[in-house]
Amino acid sequence: MTFFSKIALTGASLALGFATAAWSFEEAPMLKEQVASGALPPLEERLPKNPLVLEVVEQPGEYGGTLRRAILGGGDQHNIVRTIGSENLVRWDVNWTEVRPNIAESVDVSEDASTFVFNLREGMRWSDGAPFTADDIMFWYEDVFSNEKLTPSKHPNYVGPSGPVKVTKLSDTAVEFKFGEPNGLFLQQMAYGFGYYPVVYAKHYLSQFHEKYNPDIQALVDAEPAAADWIQLFNLKAGPMHTPLFWQNPDRPTLHAWHLTNAYGSTDRVVAERNPYYFKVDEAGQQLPYMDRITYDQVEDVETILLKAFNGEIDYMNRHLGRPAYRAVLNDNKERGKYRFFDTNDLPSNTMILMLNLNHEDPVKREVLSNVDFRKGLSHAVNRQEIIDLLYFGSGLAVQTSPRETSGLYKEEYAKQFTEFNPDLANEFLDKVIPNKDDEGFRLGPDGNRFTLIFMVADVFGLQFPDAMQLVAEYARDVGLDFQVRATDRSRLMELVRSNEHDAYMWNCAGGQADAYTAPICYVPLPGNTVNWAIEWAKWGVDPTTGEEPPAEVKAVFDAYEKVLTASNPEDQKARMQEVLDLAMPQLFTVGLVQNLPPFGIARNNVRNVPDPLPIAGQLWYPAPYTAQLYYEGGKSLP
Amino acid sequence: MKGFILRRILYMIPTLFLVSIVTFVIIQLPPGDYLDVLMTELGEAGVEDSSTMDALREQYGLGQPIYVQYFKWMKAILLHGDFGLSFEKNRPVTDLIWNRLGWTFGISIMTLLFIWITALPIGIYSAVRKYSAGDYIATFFGFIGLAVPNFLLALVMMYISFKYFGQSVGGLVSPEYLDAPWTWDKYVDLFKHIWMPIVVVGTSGAAALIRIMRANLLDELYRPYVVTARAKGMSEFQLLLRYPVRVALNPFVSTIGWILPTLVSGEIIVAVVMNLPTTGPLLLRALLVQDMYLAGSLILIVSMLTVVGTLISDLLLAWIDPRIRYQ
Repeated sequence: MTFFSKIALTGASLALGFATAAWSFEEAPMLKEQVASGALPPLEERLPKNPLVLEVVEQPGEYGGTLRRAILGGGDQHNIVRTIGSENLVRWDVNWTEVRPNIAESVDVSEDASTFVFNLREGMRWSDGAPFTADDIMFWYEDVFSNEKLTPSKHPNYVGPSGPVKVTKLSDTAVEFKFGEPNGLFLQQMAYGFGYYPVVYAKHYLSQFHEKYNPDIQALVDAEPAAADWIQLFNLKAGPMHTPLFWQNPDRPTLHAWHLTNAYGSTDRVVAERNPYYFKVDEAGQQLPYMDRITYDQVEDVETILLKAFNGEIDYMNRHLGRPAYRAVLNDNKERGKYRFFDTNDLPSNTMILMLNLNHEDPVKREVLSNVDFRKGLSHAVNRQEIIDLLYFGSGLAVQTSPRETSGLYKEEYAKQFTEFNPDLANEFLDKVIPNKDDEGFRLGPDGNRFTLIFMVADVFGLQFPDAMQLVAEYARDVGLDFQVRATDRSRLMELVRSNEHDAYMWNCAGGQADAYTAPICYVPLPGNTVNWAIEWAKWGVDPTTGEEPPAEVKAVFDAYEKVLTASNPEDQKARMQEVLDLAMPQLFTVGLVQNLPPFGIARNNVRNVPDPLPIAGQLWYPAPYTAQLYYEGGKSLP
Repeated sequence: MKGFILRRILYMIPTLFLVSIVTFVIIQLPPGDYLDVLMTELGEAGVEDSSTMDALREQYGLGQPIYVQYFKWMKAILLHGDFGLSFEKNRPVTDLIWNRLGWTFGISIMTLLFIWITALPIGIYSAVRKYSAGDYIATFFGFIGLAVPNFLLALVMMYISFKYFGQSVGGLVSPEYLDAPWTWDKYVDLFKHIWMPIVVVGTSGAAALIRIMRANLLDELYRPYVVTARAKGMSEFQLLLRYPVRVALNPFVSTIGWILPTLVSGEIIVAVVMNLPTTGPLLLRALLVQDMYLAGSLILIVSMLTVVGTLISDLLLAWIDPRIRYQ
């Protein structure tokens, strides 16, 4: 039996065990009233036959209360996604160590990890009460994912080397996902954020906006000022969950624990009410979530959120508040705001990275930048500890871009390599690449001109990148390198990076924890939105007829990562991932400077079942799968 | 007088037309578009996904040439009063701005009244009692009001009311009233909050007007006609208000022209800091994310207000000061 089918089965048998005990389920008082008045069917008809019994962090809770948060006026939809949105077929457990069933009751995985059968819960319902069946997943697959107009390019999770996944309906409660070859990371991917696609398209509601199902679609298009044709209309009503579109259509049924009652962006307060059809119960048989609603007060500035926290108007939040700079002032107002701290394991592989463009368009610059000795020299030239002391009051680790100790992939040599501040050693490495200097002491490139790099930097993540870059430029000058720092707007920076017109820039990188398997973006050249240090190799990696063929040592990394994808058990997978790192780390693709210490969040004193530490990563949209089990001692927030 | 008004209104048309073109060009100037911003923001959240963007680029029709976009936009505004669609909010711009413009006007008009109510008597007093203790105090606060940036004043006031009065700061109503219907308690709560932005925004305006009023009035007070009136035995108070103050009022009237647009767009930072539901934060955000129809519409409306404000103050000036009409 493979690893995946084993965990799936234990999950399933757990759920079955409770169901066969002929339990009476409990529901929230506000729902009881609605059942009594006839507005809602009784609980037994709303829950699936085998509801998911969610393991709670401390103990089963009590109903009631409103979870109050704050949201920025624009671009902050992940605030909602990460509290209520992430509800996929499978989920990670609360410690981010293993994959467990979620919307699916169980998963059967073929021996070679190429076919996955998701068994759905019988009698499960959307938030409006309509049944959720295999047909909804097929609607996503046939009419959205496979429709070239709606999905011109497919998300990489659902594409294998031999083409997109094939999805077949086996019965009303069973769906098969089949790849042409082994895909050992598929279940992990489905448990991460982007696994949401198959389970957010409610056929009974969305088919009215689809050409195939509604012959009178033009009438709806005409009635909608924001759409010119049915494709725009469909995208408007059925936008992707990680964009604002999804949260601007409160009519759309979901499977989430809370359901929006108004659209994000157009009101002062976004309110999400409990979903009476939610499929999770606690071990005492109480239907989740415990809290009646979540409110997001719209504010324009992060500092206002801070003030709200001091006033006790924020019940549970780490987003925006977890910056190192806010720790002291939040600590001072702890008594007044009646909150406590919890840790979040938001630990990327590095928070401050010098990303040199290894595929530079200019052959002279490329020759130098792609020489590993140049990067080693640069790495030795930077005084990391001084940056940490000056900018972060000493809180940070002076290490390379590498997996953290908690990832299971940690090796000291990865973390410590070339991190010693040693200008002599730096000069030694640089002399191997560009030994000649001009009158002012700056090194000359192979073409005889001064070797100048334009370093772009944007003030992002609240990490004072522009200040850090000034320091780096001074260290570089000490070893004869001419770095010109250009502070710019992040969207301009990204535009230049994506079009491969940059010399170098400063950014951060995922892959510090278990996400190293699925997002090794700084160990393997992969196409990305923000991390692009070898864009041509990355293109070649996806499709060898495009981009540019990389040198043999980079190809070896690609091959090794390919093997990780086909591993069928976790031990094997780990060993293969370690091989990838063993090949990639000595090449020092990026020069990492600082790893942050864990950020934090705040929870009001009577919020219980708070995961501490809370794992968070770019792909892991926590705490969403576990917000439903948060509760207030006493049934409401402290006054 | 009729010819004067007609001429003024006719001048407005080409001005507005040019303003609309300049507006549209300016919002197109920065590199990239809304989708680039969205992609970067998603990237910051750790989400690496370029496939979504391909689908969305189609959605927003961002590929058309600029003049086609401009004509479409203008046509919809002129024929249907439709300002286009906000990319970020996915709603027609008209749905988004009227509510906020309402608040903006409410606060603006109250601020204007605050400025006049404070500046007029203080200005007169400090001119009439030149170099008295009261004049020095008024001058002192006047200069402070001019020198302190509004947003700093906002921060200090917010800090004080947070620290010593335990008030919920930011926004116009306390969180518990946010989605409550309008009751007496809510109005009371509103007035507990709304005085702060009015004072913050109004202080520098009031300070400036106090100085102007004082200077203008001082010019008038020693004119021969004042001396004559006094010699004829006119009461001091009546004399003051009837002649020199009336002449000194000109700057008050001519400020209407620039005070309208300032109140809509000029106090963006204050509105962001104090979390006011006005157009300022909306405009700032729209500019940052290149939500171009929203930003363009707001700038267009602000420009229209400037032009209309200038017209109003021109007409008022012409009405109180006949000399202007015939120039």
